[in-house]
Amino acid sequence: MQEASQARCTRCDALLARSHRLSIQGILALTLAAAAAYVIAISFPLMSLTLRGGAEAATLPQAISIAWQDDQQIIAILAGITALIAPAAFIGLRLYVLIPLAAGSKPPGFAWCVRALHQAAHWNMTEVFTVGVLLSLVRLAGLADTTPEPGLFALGAMTVLFAAIESAGLKHLWWNMQ
Amino acid sequence: MSTAIDEGAGAYLGCESCGLVSRDATGDDPALVQHCPRCGHVLHATKPFSLQRTWACVVAAAVLYIPANTLPVMETTSALQRDEHTLLGGIHELWLSGSWGLAIIVFIASIAVPVLKIGALALLAWTVRWKPGWRRLERARLYRLIETVGHWSMLDVYVVVLLTATVRFGPLASVSTGAGLLSFAAVVVLTLLATWSFDPRLIWRDPPAAATAPDGRRLA
Repeated sequence: MQEASQARCTRCDALLARSHRLSIQGILALTLAAAAAYVIAISFPLMSLTLRGGAEAATLPQAISIAWQDDQQIIAILAGITALIAPAAFIGLRLYVLIPLAAGSKPPGFAWCVRALHQAAHWNMTEVFTVGVLLSLVRLAGLADTTPEPGLFALGAMTVLFAAIESAGLKHLWWNMQ
Repeated sequence: MSTAIDEGAGAYLGCESCGLVSRDATGDDPALVQHCPRCGHVLHATKPFSLQRTWACVVAAAVLYIPANTLPVMETTSALQRDEHTLLGGIHELWLSGSWGLAIIVFIASIAVPVLKIGALALLAWTVRWKPGWRRLERARLYRLIETVGHWSMLDVYVVVLLTATVRFGPLASVSTGAGLLSFAAVVVLTLLATWSFDPRLIWRDPPAAATAPDGRRLA
């Protein structure tokens, strides 16, 4: 494929493939950055709230466990899968596949990992969650003093990195094998 | 998107996972299962029970859409009063408080996207059976549109989870989830499952009358 070109289906006009500027090493670097952002995003609070001297802040795992204790187990599981587990799988499986590929070898279970990555991409809703945090901040602004916390900035960085990684797609991994 | 092509002796199957095209070795025997030689994914000419699964999820989502909109998704308690908020009520409050842009975003994510998905999937599934030749390219584009915007309806679920987790000041101010949230989350998941079970290759399938070629060979 030539630089900046795309292949489209002649029948239904769907995008089949496009050339990508990034090499395997480039995508690996972005994935490592996303892994760092993920660790910060889940271990620091996303936002904090001050009301008459009392303050509350919640990290993403805390928010999910509060929903669980609130008798909303199904909601907690859904939020856990889409905002916590799927992004972790998205990053973890990519690292597992890309690190050996960048070194020139094929990891065991490669085919299974790439198929699992398709599923992880389906369920990964990081960008929606990021907008959800921003929306919550705005909705609370009238009620109390709200402050965005480090977790939110890391989440924003993660959203951008995910978009960059996803634009490369998964099929190039197979082309790289040959 | 991969597809089965009719050409020469047999059909070809495209892998939905890695994109490799293989010759269809199963013939018409439904008991045979063929796997992609490169990645091991199961190969189908079309996803099995695609229309049945799509209809089941669409109908369930349409039914649950009613409690999702009429029951409150969130309850707020403050020193003065206790309020229940429905999806539309929350959007109305945002609009009244002057956040028009946000009100529009939430309206699109919580109201427009689920309605669009239920309506579009019902249309796509209906036309496969009854109007197979009608505006095929537009239908293929419609499918890709709902596939892209699909998960944005999770927005309100996240907002309620985050509000309940941060607004915890006891009787002074607290937020808890309402009964409607579970229905709404179910609508979101069901429409996602309906989108994934629909096979866009069905859009291009020829009507049953033309499905048998003169030599008796079944077309894909």
